[in-house]
Amino acid sequence: MSKIDLNNISHTYNPKDTEPTYALNPFSMTWENGKRYAILGPSGCGKTTMLNIVSGLVRPSAGSILFDDKDVTDLKTEDRNIAQVFQFPVIYNTMTVFENLAFPLLCRDFEKEKINERVNSVAETLNLQSFLKFPARKLTADQKQLISLGRGLVREDVAAVLMDEPLTVIDPDLKFRLRRKLKEINEEFKTTLVYVTHDQNEAMTFADNIIVMSNGEVVQAGTPKELFERPNTTFVGYFIGSPAMNLFETEASSNDCVKINGTLIKTNTNLSKLKDKKIKLGIRSEFINLAEDQKDNLLSVEVDKVEDLGNYKLLTAKMGELTIKSKINRETEVPSSNVKLHIPADKCCVYENEILI
Amino acid sequence: MGKLYKILKYFFITFWAVFVVAPFLWALTTSFKDFNSVNGGATYIPWVDFEPKLEGWRVLIKSPANGGVDIIEPYFNSLFVTCTASLISIILGTLSAYALSRFTFKAGFVKNNDITFFFISQRIMPPIVLSIPFFLFLGAINLLDSLIGLIVVYIVLLMPIAVWIMVDFFNKVPREIDETALIDGCNPYQAFFKVVLPNSIPGLIVAGMFCIIFGWIDFFFAFILTFTEVQLLPVKIVALNSSITPWWSLSASALISVAPLIIVAFVVERYLSKGNLSGAIK
Repeated sequence: MSKIDLNNISHTYNPKDTEPTYALNPFSMTWENGKRYAILGPSGCGKTTMLNIVSGLVRPSAGSILFDDKDVTDLKTEDRNIAQVFQFPVIYNTMTVFENLAFPLLCRDFEKEKINERVNSVAETLNLQSFLKFPARKLTADQKQLISLGRGLVREDVAAVLMDEPLTVIDPDLKFRLRRKLKEINEEFKTTLVYVTHDQNEAMTFADNIIVMSNGEVVQAGTPKELFERPNTTFVGYFIGSPAMNLFETEASSNDCVKINGTLIKTNTNLSKLKDKKIKLGIRSEFINLAEDQKDNLLSVEVDKVEDLGNYKLLTAKMGELTIKSKINRETEVPSSNVKLHIPADKCCVYENEILI
Repeated sequence: MGKLYKILKYFFITFWAVFVVAPFLWALTTSFKDFNSVNGGATYIPWVDFEPKLEGWRVLIKSPANGGVDIIEPYFNSLFVTCTASLISIILGTLSAYALSRFTFKAGFVKNNDITFFFISQRIMPPIVLSIPFFLFLGAINLLDSLIGLIVVYIVLLMPIAVWIMVDFFNKVPREIDETALIDGCNPYQAFFKVVLPNSIPGLIVAGMFCIIFGWIDFFFAFILTFTEVQLLPVKIVALNSSITPWWSLSASALISVAPLIIVAFVVERYLSKGNLSGAIK
C-alpha cells in the first residue's frame, strides 16, 4: 500500500547499440495509493515491460522508481514487497494449494497463526477452501490462475498488486465475478491494483485510471470518462470505444468552425493558431444523434444501414465519401430519407497531426 | 479388440520377456556349474542336467591367498567412485545448467549455447584421446592408482551428461516460476532451492541415472589409471580370465555387477511409468 512514482522511466533491451530501440520511451507518472489502474494497449506496446520495471524484474535503462517517496530503483524484487500475477498460471507444482498460498508469507517469516488466518481468508474469497489440501498441479487451468491471484492477495501490506492480463485463461462468467471481487478487495483493503490488459471493456469497467500505451509510449493517462470524451490522440479515439471514434479529415474555415463536405460545423476549439489547415475532427458515435429541433451543426446524410445491437441501434450513414456512425436509442425510428444528424459542438475534438488541440 | 489381437499381444510380450531374461538365466545356471558341466554340452536344469556347485561364487569372496579373487573390495570401490562422482557431477552440473539456462553470458563470440556445446563436446571425442592426458595429469598430481584420481576423471566424464540433460530441462521450466518466487520474497538462492529444484526432480533423476550407468560400466579409464592399489569391478572381472576361462565365476560376477543397475532401473521405472518424465529426456 504505497504511492508509486515513476520518474522519467525508459527502457531498452539493447542498450549497447549505437541507436537503441526503446521498448519504453521516457515517461513520468504517479500511482496513488489504493487506486485501481489499468494499462491498456495493443500487444507489444511495452505494458509488460512497465510492470516488470515496477516489480523489479527489469531494471529501467534510465529514470527512477519511488515507493512512498523512497527510491527503490536499485532494490531487488524480493525486497520490494510487491505482488505480481502473470498472464498464465504460475504455481509451485510440488506443493499443495495451501502451501502455494502460504509461500509468500513463509518467505517473509510470518507467524503460523497469521499464515493460517490469511490463507483461509484468501481461499474463501477465491472459493478455494475445498481444495486447500490438494496438490496444486492437479487443478484446472483457471483454478491454478486463482492460486496465482491468491498468492498476490495473501499479503496485506504489499506496495501494489500488479496483474498482467490475469484473466485471459478464465472463462467469461468467472472473469466477470473475479473482476468484481478484485474491485471489492481494492475497496476493502485499499490495495493499489495495476492491471494490464488489451481489452478496453475490462479496463473501462475495472479501473479508476487508465493508461493507454502504444509503441512504447504512454499516449494518455486519465479516467475512463476523460479517455472516452477527450482522447488525446486519434489513436486513443480509435482504440477506445466501440465503435471507434468518428474521424473526419477536414480543414478549418474560421476561428472555431470546420467544413465537412461543404457543411460548416462549429466546435468549441479555438482554431486560430493552427499551423496546418489540414486537421481531423473526431466525435464519438454516442454523441451524434438524429436532429430534433436543433438548427446548427447538422449534417444531411443518407442512411446506409441500421443495426439493432440489443441495447442500442447502430446507425451507419453516408455523406458523400464519408461514413458516420451513430449510436441511437433502440426505440428511435430512423426515417428513410431526409435524415439530419446533430453534432454537438462541445463534444467535438479537433486533432492536428493526430494530436488533440 | 479382437481375441486374435490379445493372443498376439501376449505372445509377443512372452517372446520378448524370454528374449530379455534368457541371458540372465543362462548366466545364472552357468555360475553354478563346474568345468565338466560347462564343457559337457548345453545343460540347463540343476540337479537333473548337472550337479550345481557353489565354487563359482565362492571364488569371488575368497581372499587371493586362499586361491580366490575377492571382488568385494573392487565392488565397493566401484560403488564409492560411481556414487561420489555422480553426486558431484549432478550438483555441479545442475548449478551450471541453471546458470546457462537463466543468465546470459557473453565473452566475445562465445555465448550460452557455445558454452553448453563446450560441455557436450567433451563427450564427442573418442575416450582414448583423453587417456594419455589424464594419465600424465594424474601422474603429475600424484593421484594415479587412487580412488580420488578416478573420481576426478569420472567427474570430467559425467558432468557433461548432467549439464546437457539439465540445461534442456531447465529451459522447459518457465522463467515465470523463478520470477514469481522472487516476487513472493525468496532471494535467488531460495528461489532455486525451494521452487525450481523441486520442480526439476524428474530431470535430476534422469541425469542421475545416466551418470550412474556411465560411471558404473566404465572399464577403459579404470583400466588405464589404476594398477595394484585400487581396482574397480569391471577391471577385476576382466582379470578373472586365465588360460582356462572360469565361466562359472565370470557368470557370477557378471550377475552381481549388473545388480545395482537393475535396482536403479526398478527405482526409476516408477517415475518413468508415471509419465513424470515426459519431456525430461527428449
